[in-house]
Amino acid sequence: MKQSLPLRLLLAVTILFFLLLIGLPFWWVISGSFKLPQEIIAREPTLVPQSFTLQHYAKLLDASAYPTYLVNSLIVGLASSVLTVLLAVPAAYAFFRMELPFREGMYRAILLAYAFPGVIVLIPIYGLFAQLGLVDNLLALIIVNTTFALPFSIWMMRSFLATIPRDLEEAARMDGAPTPVILRRILVPLILPGVAAVGVFAFISSWTEYLFASVLILSDDKRTVPVGFAGIIGQYQIDWGLLLAGASLAILPVVIIFSLVGRAFVSGLTDGAVK
Amino acid sequence: MTNLTLRGVTKRFGATEAVSNVDLEILAGEMVVFVGPSGCGKSTLLRMIAGLEPVSEGRIEIGDRDVTQAEPVERGLAMVFQSYALYPHMTVAENMGFPLEMQGLSKEEIAGRVRATAQTLQLQDHLDRKPRALSGGQRQRVAIGRAIVRNPVAFLFDEPLSNLDAELRVQMRLEIARLHRDLKATMIYVTHDQVEAMTLADRIVVLRGGRIEQVGAPLELYDNPANAFVAGFIGSPRMNLIPATSWRDGDGLRIVVPGGEVRFRPAGTMPPDGAAVQLGLRPEQMAVAGGVPLPAICDTIERLGAVSYLYARLADGTAVTAQVDHALAAASIGAQVSFALDASRALLFDASGRRIA
Repeated sequence: MKQSLPLRLLLAVTILFFLLLIGLPFWWVISGSFKLPQEIIAREPTLVPQSFTLQHYAKLLDASAYPTYLVNSLIVGLASSVLTVLLAVPAAYAFFRMELPFREGMYRAILLAYAFPGVIVLIPIYGLFAQLGLVDNLLALIIVNTTFALPFSIWMMRSFLATIPRDLEEAARMDGAPTPVILRRILVPLILPGVAAVGVFAFISSWTEYLFASVLILSDDKRTVPVGFAGIIGQYQIDWGLLLAGASLAILPVVIIFSLVGRAFVSGLTDGAVK
Repeated sequence: MTNLTLRGVTKRFGATEAVSNVDLEILAGEMVVFVGPSGCGKSTLLRMIAGLEPVSEGRIEIGDRDVTQAEPVERGLAMVFQSYALYPHMTVAENMGFPLEMQGLSKEEIAGRVRATAQTLQLQDHLDRKPRALSGGQRQRVAIGRAIVRNPVAFLFDEPLSNLDAELRVQMRLEIARLHRDLKATMIYVTHDQVEAMTLADRIVVLRGGRIEQVGAPLELYDNPANAFVAGFIGSPRMNLIPATSWRDGDGLRIVVPGGEVRFRPAGTMPPDGAAVQLGLRPEQMAVAGGVPLPAICDTIERLGAVSYLYARLADGTAVTAQVDHALAAASIGAQVSFALDASRALLFDASGRRIA
């Protein structure tokens, strides 16, 4: 396709605009985390760092509980992500394929649950976990994050399943594959982009979750990054360098996960299946 | 080798009956083709035999085993889908080996059988490829290979050639016919293409509206259709069904068609005088030496070389098709032509399409 020069220029400028809009804050945070404190709070902000230091990172990792928060967040995030995928795939298949009474009704009910803000169920959930003895336990966060990620994940997974031609499933049935095998060997490999998307979604939801993490976790050594990090900011003074270094590190796992599963987003996996 | 029997098989979707009370015996080693217009229930019937669609009423037996409620895999049938339904993330070898893997065979045995099957289908050079790297014909062969490799009681084909282009379709048709000959396997083949049915079938089952209209060998259906629907459906170009009225004439009938009349000697009951009937004549019975003359106006001529088809209108506007010789094919469009009907081979149907003679 050939485009005229002005049109291409316009498109390029548009892309550049959004790139700057999204990228500049990140650049400011990451570059700032390597600046000396006096440059960070300088009256004239610098786009290109004039100084370089690792003192904020050293302080963050040696003198604060940040590494503990990071590990806790990773445990909760990865566990929520895996659990969400493990539950969303069979649930989506059941909603998609099985002949259940009130199937559509249940499906809508699940989506409806997603529409309520978490704060509404905060107190009942706290009471529930208190009775189960799960308060101040990372498991509580894993359960909560999975619960909140599931409705959207099931919905997303169901749309991915809907792209798989029914013939494939029927061919597998004719070939003698029972339903769990069809799911594992035929459907899941074909909806890997969906599985990856759901996994990333669940991880990021968990990674950024603040409300439940702040209420259900009491002891400092079990806090996750968003809550623990908020404590680092301090009551009377803000250590900007520390804050920016912490924020930069918090972005890192998300970037790594995206770079790992990004390949799975490549579509065209079902090419040649039918026709 | 086992027979496959359908007894009163019925399928309802809500209030609509897609397949009604079908009785059929398919003999071991036979190639039976289900043919009919779309929506006639042929695919539903095949899917019920496969076990993919539950049966509302009736029984399906394989040999003397009642499989009506059996899971697809328990029936020992293999199916080739219209869309091929190859597993896109698996190689050709993995696709063909999948049913064997499900049977729990050892890796060596699977590899051996897949290789042997690939050989017969000329797929041995493609075993490591993914389906997307194959042409349409090759994909169809892989789908057939996946069916053959398990050595099924019977093969089910659901419009397997519909996605191929015309040339490849003819080639694959011959290949399936050869496969049937070599394997001596029972095959049930669904198609809406009556040419495919005629060329492949030992017996054709013509379906309409979920019911069997007629079962028989291809030429039996062609020469001796049970009703006007079968007469019109089997054969290409279609049989001409000319509206006519019937009058008694001694011990025979005088059939008055637009622009002429034909004499008939029916075997069974005579229609009452003045009854509306349909005279059935194949295109090749429209213009024969010494036939009953019938005038018509020429509309179009298709000159195919070996044969020519003349499309014409009778006096009342009824469109008819005639297979004509070179002399008649030289007629110009809009000109008056005179057909010569072979009345001895004509068929007679009453107004509802039932065969009278």
